[in-house]
Amino acid sequence: MTRVLYNIKLYFSFLLASLKEILIYRVDCIVGVVSQIISQLVEIIFIWIAFQNTENLAGWNFKQVFLLYGITLIAIGIADFCFDALYYLGPKYIKQGEFDKIMLRPVHPLLSIIGSSRAFTAIGYLGLGFIITVTMFIELNIPITIFLILKILFFSIIGALIIGAINTICSITSFWTYRSNEFIWSFFKMYTFAQYPIDIYNKFIKILITVILPFAFVSYYPTMDYLGINTYMTYLSPIIAIILWIVAVKLWNFALKKYRSTGN
Amino acid sequence: MGIIEVKKLVKEYKVIQKEKGLLGYFKNLIHPKYKKFTAVNNININIEEGELVGYIGENGAGKSTTIKMLTGLLTPTSGEVIVNGLVPSEKRIENNKNIGAVFGQKTQLWWDLPVIESFRLIKKMYKIPENEYRKNLKRFTEILELEDLLEKQVKNLSLGQKMRCEIAATFMHNPKIVYLDEPTIGLDVLVKENIRKFIKDVNKEKNTTVILTTHDLKDIEDVCNRIILLDKGQIIYDGGKQEFKDIYGNYVIAEFIIKEKKQSIKESMNLDIIHILEETEKNLKIKFKHDETTIMKVMDEISKYCTIEDIHMKEPELEDILKDIYKGVHTNDKKYDSTSENAI
Repeated sequence: MTRVLYNIKLYFSFLLASLKEILIYRVDCIVGVVSQIISQLVEIIFIWIAFQNTENLAGWNFKQVFLLYGITLIAIGIADFCFDALYYLGPKYIKQGEFDKIMLRPVHPLLSIIGSSRAFTAIGYLGLGFIITVTMFIELNIPITIFLILKILFFSIIGALIIGAINTICSITSFWTYRSNEFIWSFFKMYTFAQYPIDIYNKFIKILITVILPFAFVSYYPTMDYLGINTYMTYLSPIIAIILWIVAVKLWNFALKKYRSTGN
Repeated sequence: MGIIEVKKLVKEYKVIQKEKGLLGYFKNLIHPKYKKFTAVNNININIEEGELVGYIGENGAGKSTTIKMLTGLLTPTSGEVIVNGLVPSEKRIENNKNIGAVFGQKTQLWWDLPVIESFRLIKKMYKIPENEYRKNLKRFTEILELEDLLEKQVKNLSLGQKMRCEIAATFMHNPKIVYLDEPTIGLDVLVKENIRKFIKDVNKEKNTTVILTTHDLKDIEDVCNRIILLDKGQIIYDGGKQEFKDIYGNYVIAEFIIKEKKQSIKESMNLDIIHILEETEKNLKIKFKHDETTIMKVMDEISKYCTIEDIHMKEPELEDILKDIYKGVHTNDKKYDSTSENAI
């Protein structure tokens, strides 16, 4: 237990150091945040246009879909902030030999990697997500209680952990190809499916985002809970997060072992 | 039992055999042919605690591969590595607590942060007790002259400043073993001396074992008491520094300033125990062995062909000896037994 605590503390020390590093580049930060917000606004306009032609999507109205969208942004924001460096494992750490240095530390290299995340721009996602979520709750006449806030916080962190675990599993490709960031990105992009009610999809995509890449647990099931459409599915998400992380770490260790025996 | 024990260590790499032309590249893409390459071939090393070992050899001799196996970055193909009672490739993280490493130009410091922040993170990472950290920080700041650097961002430091901070960071957690791979590359003489002094001081105070890989043999000359020489993946010498000189460098280099040369000395002289290294109108550089002839006899011989004005004699330096070895001068000599127990 003390080991787990030490690792968590160390992770946040690393994260804090990375944050300090990125904050030195003021202009980079501002430009990053602004461009994140713009790219999200484009998507929001698309949803808005879609609702010009239809009253609801699989039984969800305009406001409910936007709430789902806001909740997703919060989870993605946290995930980006905490695990962003996984994208750079191949192109930066392994290709440029930085990985050796991380392997010489007395901590698990995965911890060092995710600890070097410096996605300050995730503030853009978080801020936008927060504004949309609050607005939609008010619009939907759902009272924002302390309990609701805690619940959102909890499930958003769990959602971020699910995204982090999926990205960790995808990052294993880094040990074989430097272009792993594109690979992770292509899988990560499937979270888009979870931004809309999953009943609009066919069977294949439903299975994909609930079982294979359980993005539906990141925001879709939690949002159903907040809306009072109770399915109890969301209470599975902590278990899914734990299982995913166990699988991710096991696979990562296995790949690392292979990598070390072949040389670089 | 040594702090580092290496037995019959082998590392083979599989490399893709390149084929010529664009077509060859496509062939490789679909059906690559692999070739085996042995980087480290059956080496045995036993290092005791507190030794200062110079690990030398040409580029590609297998030095880095060995260090990577000692640190657990690479898993050996076969053979045994035990460092401080652990197998590094199996207990890598455990092993990392006892070691420190500097790899050439790569920095372990946080690039965009002030140096002191990196030291603080290292303190947390290695769980260095507060008083031990303060003591080391004070002592290292003193020897390596870091006073004015601690608040500066790492990216703004010069190469020499960065390396001094790097060295301090490496020794901060009192590692039992430190691997230094080219720690003085590209540095000026003063910084080099500073770093060498630091290594010697810490070794004396804390009995830290240091494995030093370098191409600057002054580092070895100054710091190490033992040399391990690697060539094509095999150890060709392992033993004391002085013994190394005695075995490979038991000759004298003499430089004559001459005049009134009558004929080419190289062509006329028939003494094959004198090796002529260089010959011009006014200069002559020769090499001979103490046990084969004396300087008087050599001078007698040379004065047959010219008048000697001045003479300079010197013992060969490590660099001269190594140049000879790399050029293969000693290939006919009996190889020094690297496994012999009386190596030191």
